[in-house]
Amino acid sequence: MSAEPFPRPTAERSIAVRGELTVSDLDKSFVIGGQPRPVLENINLTVRPGEFVSIVGASGCGKSTLLRLIVGLDDQYRGEIRLDGERIATTSLDRGIVFQDHRLFPWMTLEQNIELALLNTDTPKARRAAIVAEHIALVGLTGFEKAYPHQLSGGMAQRAAIARALVTEPKVLLLDEPLGALDALTRVHVQNELQRIWLAQRSTMVMVTHDVEEALYLGDRVIVMSPNPGRIRRIVNVDLPHPRDRRSPLLHRLKDEILAELTGAPTDTPANLVHLPSREPR
Amino acid sequence: MASRAVPAVGSTLGTAPAPGIKAAGDRSRWSAVAAPLSLLAAWQLACMSGVFPSQVLVPPSEVVRTLWQMAASGELRMHVGDSLYRLTIGFVIGGFAGLAFGATIALSRLAEAAFSPLFLTLWQVPVIAFVPTMVLFLGINEPFKIAVVAIAAFFPIALATFDGVRGVPKAWFEVAKVYRTRLPDLVWRILVPATIPSVLTGLRISLTRAWIVLVAAELLAADSGIGQMMEMGRQLFQLDVVLAGVVVSGLIGFALDRGAREIERRASKWRTA
Amino acid sequence: MNRLLANRSIRLVIGLVAPAILLAWWQWFATTPGASAVALAPLGSVGSAFLELANNGTLLGDITATLGRAFTGFAIGASLGVATGTAMAVLPLLNRVLGPLLNGLRQVPMIGWLPLIGLWFGTGEGSELIVVCLGAFFPAMLNTHAGVANVEQRYLDVGEIFRFTATQRFVRILLPAAMPLILTGLTQSLAFAWIGTLASELLMGAGGGLGVTLQTAQIQQRLDVILVTVAITAVLGFAINQIIARVRREVLRWQPVQY
Repeated sequence: MSAEPFPRPTAERSIAVRGELTVSDLDKSFVIGGQPRPVLENINLTVRPGEFVSIVGASGCGKSTLLRLIVGLDDQYRGEIRLDGERIATTSLDRGIVFQDHRLFPWMTLEQNIELALLNTDTPKARRAAIVAEHIALVGLTGFEKAYPHQLSGGMAQRAAIARALVTEPKVLLLDEPLGALDALTRVHVQNELQRIWLAQRSTMVMVTHDVEEALYLGDRVIVMSPNPGRIRRIVNVDLPHPRDRRSPLLHRLKDEILAELTGAPTDTPANLVHLPSREPR
Repeated sequence: MASRAVPAVGSTLGTAPAPGIKAAGDRSRWSAVAAPLSLLAAWQLACMSGVFPSQVLVPPSEVVRTLWQMAASGELRMHVGDSLYRLTIGFVIGGFAGLAFGATIALSRLAEAAFSPLFLTLWQVPVIAFVPTMVLFLGINEPFKIAVVAIAAFFPIALATFDGVRGVPKAWFEVAKVYRTRLPDLVWRILVPATIPSVLTGLRISLTRAWIVLVAAELLAADSGIGQMMEMGRQLFQLDVVLAGVVVSGLIGFALDRGAREIERRASKWRTA
Repeated sequence: MNRLLANRSIRLVIGLVAPAILLAWWQWFATTPGASAVALAPLGSVGSAFLELANNGTLLGDITATLGRAFTGFAIGASLGVATGTAMAVLPLLNRVLGPLLNGLRQVPMIGWLPLIGLWFGTGEGSELIVVCLGAFFPAMLNTHAGVANVEQRYLDVGEIFRFTATQRFVRILLPAAMPLILTGLTQSLAFAWIGTLASELLMGAGGGLGVTLQTAQIQQRLDVILVTVAITAVLGFAINQIIARVRREVLRWQPVQY
């Protein structure tokens, strides 16, 4: 992990405000063993241009499925998903995504991996190297251009994946538990980076996570989902300006509220104490 | 052994299992039957089309008739029986020798230093190249063919056993130490079960390999056996006999591989599938 | 003891003990009257056989012929194998048509084809080459097919997200992702080609080569010539293995170092 000072964002892209995402009456089900099983039900959501929205929920609430639908990897759904008014049916360079596993191609260097994203854009070839270098700098990986993914630490690889997703200047960046596989300290570090990048780019971002604290720290709004089938349970507005202070009492209060909502029970009941009968005093 | 990299040349089959052409999911079982059947159909059709004269290709029906006749006269039984007898005896000898040798050089650094250079040198030579030497030493009778099988079986099994024993994670020995496991328990509850999957893979590879080498040895010098049957057929221009031999040797090789895979699968269930 | 074994040169000496004992036993056995003189040639005769073969050009001719045959067969068989395997992985229809046929054919051991090929094409050099090609074809085909067909979906997703064309998908994802298995296939192919060369030379005896010399020497009961030839086989096999390992390391630079 490099601890160099954050590189300055480039001026030309810092005020790009666009990318309104609307999801209306969305239903999605999978067929499991011949039986259709609903995974998402009646999802309605509007993400404003430039907004950072976090989605939290227990595993199985379909939050990752929702991102796959938005990015266009899956087009089997009922209802509408629109980006700036246009219905989403397949993938597009307007929508970038970062997965929990970085999915950098192990057979390419960091630089080649990022340049790959520009392959089918109309960016002139001559400019590509400069744009790639710029984005490597944006995520603080200058000096590692020639490294292969296996030579990067988890946090570095994840930041590289973020750079790859951003290099096409998507209107919306989707983040599917991007920090889920990182250790606690690296996680905080990359969260800060992510916030800084978002402030610099101001593109619309939708992040799925199971870490409530992370969702609150980064999100303008936090969507709380409930499982089986996945539904929106509550939308929490986080009325704090960015960049935020992790110690803010508001964040802590909201965190307790959301956690209570997700776990459904006060925490210190003796019900979850385990008894070992053979260890009882004889 | 200095390097764990398995030399490719010298082994009839690389140690990596050759992946099959897999049909999607559940259909693999079905396609295992369908594959030989459609091959047969294509073959029969090719013959019936009349493009190939009968000296070049005889239809499967003809091969089946030949097989039937040879089976009825007891000739087929003799050839197959002789081949399988040699395979069994040779495999048992080579297998035990390989197990013992592999385990010894895995457990003793001294034995490894003493024997692995010689072992690795000999491993470079394809078994088939040993055939002339062995013919001079042993003649062309049973001992020669059994020795060929034994040698073919010895190398992969020794290597797999070595890899298996050396590959037991050090952490498991540490666990054993923490619980103060006694030596017999250490051997039977940790070492043996941990080594079995690798050893079984070695056994399977060496079994199919031994079969191929045996057929080759019988082609070169023998008075009976599947290989000799084919060679005689070739010399007498009996295409049906040669094809019967090809089919039988293929079926036996296939059955040996499948059988060994099944044993392997059952014995290493604890591994993630 | 273990400290002693950590020393490279001591290990080397210990490693030479077993071969030395073997050679001593052999020399003793060969020079003892009454022992089977047919079988055992004294050590010195092997040396002189080597010089004889080297000086009259037999050795060089054999090596060139065998290596030439092995590599020609490998080049033809393996490239057909890689092409077929790729095509079958990319085109499901082809897989359905060709898959059963090839799967049936591959059950027959390479050497089992020898008599049939002998009948069809005679026992000349052409037949030898066909055996080598056949041996090299299957491992390359099978591994390439498995490699290309089983590329992880998560990588293909990335290609879809960046709107890869079919060609880009193939060149930038399928091929590199399958490369480790393709190389494994090529390695096995080369091994099969090498063994197929020696086996077909031994059995068909056409066109010169190490296998042909082995066969002739067996008939003439020249153990010394046999041993020289086997030793050459070992050296060549070793060299080929080294080259393969080198190539593999070079091509798969991007992989984390294994073992």
